[in-house]
Amino acid sequence: MVHMANQIALNFAAYPHEEAVANVTNHLKSFWERRMKQQLHEYVAKGGGGLHELVIEAEKRLK
Amino acid sequence: MKVFVPCDMAALSVGADAVARAISEQVAARRLDVTVVRNGSRGMFWLEPLVEVETAKGRVAYGPVTAESVQGLFDAGFLEGKAHTLCLGPTEEIPYLKKQERLTFARCGIVDPLSLSDYVSRDGYKGLQRALTMTPEALVEEVTQSGLRGRGGAGFPTGIKWKTVLHAAADQKYIVCNADEGDSGTYADRMIMEGDPFVLIEGMTIAGFAVGATSGYIYLRSEYPHAFKTLKRAIAIAYEKGYLGADVAGSGKHFDLDVRLGAGAYICGEETSLLESLEGKRGQIRPKPPLPAIEGLFGKPTVVNNVISLATVPIILDKGADFYKDFGMGRSRGTLTIQLAGNIKYGGLVEKAFGITLREAIYDFGGGTHSGRSFRAVQVGGPLGAYFPESLLDTPLDYEAFAAKKGLVGHGGIVVFDDTVDLARQARFAMEFCAIESCGKCTPCRIGSTRGVEVIDRIIANQDRMKNLEVLDDLCELMLDGSLCALGGLTPYPVLSAVQHFPEDFDKPAVPPPPAQMAPKGQESSSWR
Amino acid sequence: MALIHETDYGTPSRVAETLVTLEIDGKPVTVPAGTSVMRAAVVAGVQVPKLCATDSVEAFGSCRLCLVEIEGRRGTPASCTLPAEPGMKVRTSSSKLSKLRRGMMELYISDHPLDCLTCGANGNCELQDMAGVVGLREVRYGYDGANHFKENVKDNSNPYFSFEPAKCILCSRCVRACEEVQGTFALTIDGRGFASTVSAGGKPFLESECVSCGACVQACPTATLIEKSVLAKGQGEHTVITTCAYCGVGCSFKAEMQGSEVVRMVPHKDGKANHGHSCVKGRFSWGYATHKDRILKPMVRAKITDPWREVTWEEAINHTASEFKRIQAKYGRDSIGGITSSRCTNEETYVMQKLVRAAFGNNNTDTCARVCHSPTGYGLKTTFGTSAGTQDFDSVEHADVIMIIGANPTDAHPVFASQMKRRLREGARLIILDPRRIDLVKSPHVQAEYHLPLKPGTNVAMINALAHVIVTEGLLAEEYIHERCDLPAFELWRKFVAEERNSPEATEAFTGVPAADVRGAARLYATGGNGAIYYGLGVTEHSQGSTMVMGMANLAMATGNIGKVGVGVNPLRGQNNVQGSCDMGSFPHEYSGYRHVSDDSTRHLFESAWGVSLQSEPGLRINNMIDAAMEGTFKGLYIQGEDIAQSDPNTQHITAGLSAIECVVVQDLFLNETAMYAHVFFPGASFLEKDGTFTNAERRISRVRKAVAPMAGLGDWEVTQALSNAMGYPMHYNHPSEIMAEIARLTPTFSGVTYEKIDELGSIQWPCNEKAPEGTPVMHIGGFVRGKGKFIITEFVPTDERTTGRFPLILTTGRILTQYNVGAQTARTENNVWHPEDILEIHPLDAENRGINEGDLVSLTSRAGDTTLKARISERMQPGVVYTTFHHMFTGANVVTTEFADWATGCPEYKVTAVQVALAKKMSAWQEHYHETRRITTQIAK
Repeated sequence: MVHMANQIALNFAAYPHEEAVANVTNHLKSFWERRMKQQLHEYVAKGGGGLHELVIEAEKRLK
Repeated sequence: MKVFVPCDMAALSVGADAVARAISEQVAARRLDVTVVRNGSRGMFWLEPLVEVETAKGRVAYGPVTAESVQGLFDAGFLEGKAHTLCLGPTEEIPYLKKQERLTFARCGIVDPLSLSDYVSRDGYKGLQRALTMTPEALVEEVTQSGLRGRGGAGFPTGIKWKTVLHAAADQKYIVCNADEGDSGTYADRMIMEGDPFVLIEGMTIAGFAVGATSGYIYLRSEYPHAFKTLKRAIAIAYEKGYLGADVAGSGKHFDLDVRLGAGAYICGEETSLLESLEGKRGQIRPKPPLPAIEGLFGKPTVVNNVISLATVPIILDKGADFYKDFGMGRSRGTLTIQLAGNIKYGGLVEKAFGITLREAIYDFGGGTHSGRSFRAVQVGGPLGAYFPESLLDTPLDYEAFAAKKGLVGHGGIVVFDDTVDLARQARFAMEFCAIESCGKCTPCRIGSTRGVEVIDRIIANQDRMKNLEVLDDLCELMLDGSLCALGGLTPYPVLSAVQHFPEDFDKPAVPPPPAQMAPKGQESSSWR
Repeated sequence: MALIHETDYGTPSRVAETLVTLEIDGKPVTVPAGTSVMRAAVVAGVQVPKLCATDSVEAFGSCRLCLVEIEGRRGTPASCTLPAEPGMKVRTSSSKLSKLRRGMMELYISDHPLDCLTCGANGNCELQDMAGVVGLREVRYGYDGANHFKENVKDNSNPYFSFEPAKCILCSRCVRACEEVQGTFALTIDGRGFASTVSAGGKPFLESECVSCGACVQACPTATLIEKSVLAKGQGEHTVITTCAYCGVGCSFKAEMQGSEVVRMVPHKDGKANHGHSCVKGRFSWGYATHKDRILKPMVRAKITDPWREVTWEEAINHTASEFKRIQAKYGRDSIGGITSSRCTNEETYVMQKLVRAAFGNNNTDTCARVCHSPTGYGLKTTFGTSAGTQDFDSVEHADVIMIIGANPTDAHPVFASQMKRRLREGARLIILDPRRIDLVKSPHVQAEYHLPLKPGTNVAMINALAHVIVTEGLLAEEYIHERCDLPAFELWRKFVAEERNSPEATEAFTGVPAADVRGAARLYATGGNGAIYYGLGVTEHSQGSTMVMGMANLAMATGNIGKVGVGVNPLRGQNNVQGSCDMGSFPHEYSGYRHVSDDSTRHLFESAWGVSLQSEPGLRINNMIDAAMEGTFKGLYIQGEDIAQSDPNTQHITAGLSAIECVVVQDLFLNETAMYAHVFFPGASFLEKDGTFTNAERRISRVRKAVAPMAGLGDWEVTQALSNAMGYPMHYNHPSEIMAEIARLTPTFSGVTYEKIDELGSIQWPCNEKAPEGTPVMHIGGFVRGKGKFIITEFVPTDERTTGRFPLILTTGRILTQYNVGAQTARTENNVWHPEDILEIHPLDAENRGINEGDLVSLTSRAGDTTLKARISERMQPGVVYTTFHHMFTGANVVTTEFADWATGCPEYKVTAVQVALAKKMSAWQEHYHETRRITTQIAK
């Protein structure tokens, strides 16, 4: 899950920050199923170690 | 001092090299200042090897010279043009030559084929110089006005062909020289390529400028190794001296030229097969249209002309269309390079204005049959030409006059037969030739020629003769009207002419003819003396 | 329907602005300039006799039967090679012509066996027909002369057709078809004159270059080249026109039938995807449909180690429904799901996803496109606005520069490859991006101007380098971009690709391709005229699959190569209905027509049409399903026509997941690998047994027509519908056409599609609606579907799958001409003579380092698993890269592939696996285990 989320972040990382966060958020929203999103929330809640910063920001907006 | 010993294949086949060696040995032994020049052939084959000596009175000829006779010649003072049993007098005065009108062959046999300075000093590249002052349209018009027609056999007006190519829009065009000289009894192409190659190079270059082609190929039959060597060398010299390449004669115009060898198929002398072969494919007929002038080599507009046609272009440009068209008769303008062969006393090349009759060619030049027996038949125009009897000998050599008698002038090859010939056998041979050389594409030629041999065999064997003559007639009509190209389409000419003019040969039981009377092929017959 | 005989116009059609009017036997007719007199005559309703002419190949002029007379001209020219001219007055019959034609036939028949009554072509022989037409009554030459008909030499080496030279009339149609139609140049004429013979390069057909496409057989006017099935059974008596069930080209075929038995499959001339051409698979490899391995009864079992028990349909369906209901009651609504298949029809797929969304009540639907072209859908939708290729196949005939990326059309899309090769022979220029030296790099009369043999996994670096050249060398189509594209996005992209790190010189270090070649290729694509990109799974099956798709879209937009004929970005779809299964809403996040499930208005549309409430969040993808099964939250799965245990990556992970599911339902023709883990088996129907539609790679919707009744009694859609009804959600379709009517009603891009219209037009390319009532061959003309074309920044994020000391080689996988995907179909045909097993291709250097010789058994090991197979030393490979196919289960290529996948869509990274290869003495542990498992799990109780 962390690998997958970070891959998404890396692919948008070249965009200006605001656009990058929006793109990651939108991607997670559009393509991730509920169970995975839940797992992401739980992982962040436990500290989110190893997650790309864009994912951490996007996770906030997903809620 | 110069001594001329031909390097032409016909002369070589009767020992010209040994003669040249013997002369060099004598020169060395006698410490003389003599240069042996290897020239082309004058085209009098019964006199080959014909050795000429340059004297103050002009060139004096001796022949036929053998290596053994060389010492005697030196002893007799032949270097001064003195008398000897082999002495023929001044070359130009030999009646056979004197009676001719040599335009295309003006230099052949006179010059060193690979001496560009010889070529230029004898009017070479004058045509090109004039061509460089003309527009392509004017060039094409000049050739059209000259009345030059394709010397490969079909007699199509060269200027009109060029005009089509000139007006075809394309990024690349080609000049292709058909040097696949395969007709029985013909050798004019070979002689000019071996004896005066620059005239062909010049002609092709002019053709390139006339139609906007920057590249040319000579498609040469592989049976001409000497011509191949000579052409290769001549082309290399022309490149060296700036007569080929990116800047021809300083004109800024581009023309490249190369020679390609065929692989021994008669059919590749047909222009579309030739193009296929040149492209590296199986030599097989392409349907027309499209004409090669529109879609030729590699699909690009292409002039395909015979060697003699292209080699005649320089003199037309040099002397003008009017000069050239003053020769000839009717719609056949200029000269025909007649090649006498077969059972003939004086075989050789006769360049003469169109209009000379067959009889004049065979008797006035050829001196009748070689065997001394009475004349029976003559085949003009190669293996697809009609067999003419004595009664048609007054037909003038002229495209239209021959067509009217269901014959062909073709490439100008004349093969003579005496009274031992069996025309039924010759008819069979025509079908057999077609069967052997057929590319196999169209049905009338592929199957028809094989059936033709079988039908004629039945006629000869007197099986159902009347019915089979009828079948043969139908088959000939089918091949004539239905074949894809001239091979199948013209094979009926010799067959039907044999039946028409020599019906008696189809009524008698078959007797195998002596081998000498089989239709001679190309060179073998031409070296008779 | 009676047996269909298509009109043969004798010579190919011509396209010309100038029209020519001439008279044929007094009838005026108008044709495009360049049309032959023969074809003009057929248009005028006059059939000129002919043998060597057929309209699939250019005129040849050899048979001389088609001679005609032209008023005012001498002679009797052949009408096939004679172009029509204005005002020409043509006579096709006269006593002269009759005599000539009869004479030709007399010659032909003088060299032909007279065994018509026992000949395989009896009833379908053009020679026989022509003898009749010309009134041949006798052969005066007799039969004692030279001939070929007494030579009794047959070449039966090809499994599907025989070659009997004794019957050959030397028309060269076969040779020309091999050259002009197929482009393989395997055949030639040997010898000359009467001795000429057709020859497959002097070898038996099977050993020759022949690819068994069947073009020669189809072109043959006699029984010289003839299908063995026709020799065995005789001629068909009626025709059913249908669509091939192999690759994404979607060839139209005539199934020639005797009652309910197929006699042969013949490519349909009016098929707009194939124009009468075929490949070995569609043409000949249909024997699997009646293979003895077919399962014809529904079966159930409690445990996978139990023998299967044959049951009635009713029992099987009720059992499944009760299991699924039980599971949902116990584990929740989201604990079950379904997988649709790209081999099934649009209608079947639509009903499947409807079953999941409406009857199961969740969005846990996915399709096998997940593992092939899901990045195409994502990438092209993001940039252009439509999840589909931009062109029709015929567009390639107007391409000037063809760029093939990660595709091997001559093996995987042979019929389109032939069309492409024809264009290349006409002079289009070719750029190939592929780690392997595929056939198109150099084959007869085709040669790539640039082959960029990049290292697997570096596609994005390469496309960025190409873009860098175009941007920095001023090759952009500025006007086009300003008019049609989103400018802020373009400016971001321009800045990004212009960075030095994206230059060919900088990327050479990863891609391994010399910068000068990259620059040359970029310049050629940008300036060579119409530039068309064709790509395959070498693009999508990477961890950057979606990025690469967008990278190609960027490149096309940057050069103005979208929105007209001859250009485009074109996915070559692997299976027959990949496009369709995606269109039909198989993906968990979108409904038919690519509308997101979170879009309220679309969801409400479906809710009101289906009378249920629907979930607004995406459901599980296939890999999520397996993960969830391992976690214990996913317990029921209905798989239609897909074999995930063989086709999906990391086999051991998949089978472990399947083993954790309580009810696995497999619907298939055969007990496939996935069925080893199944509890219910629904026998499927082959494409010959069903009505419906397939949508090919060019968005072309074509009819599949039932040629024979379903062997197991029910069509696949009927089974799905019955399951839905048993689950409590009613479905009442009487015919697939009613399903299509619902699709059209609910999907804007399909609103104009009906079976009637497909029948009338032959096929329809979506979008088909009020704006385009007859469909849309080329998309984005005048503007992009999404409004402005959007450039996307394509950062090269390398895969985490890296070579190491332990796994120093990269494995890439793919397909071969004669086998198809998991081999379920082709491995049950005689195609095994060409490819009996999967082979590992390895570069000579890598082989030498390991002491491997041709044919040695080698082990192939990755961090995911290991297997063994035979080695082939091949210079098609670059050093460091090995290749194999995944057609044979026993090889287990996917035992070795890993779980890495495209970041955006989860499409597996089949094309990059770090592996080691070594000599092996015996098969791998997995292979040994496999045999035993297979034996145990496929027993059927008697």
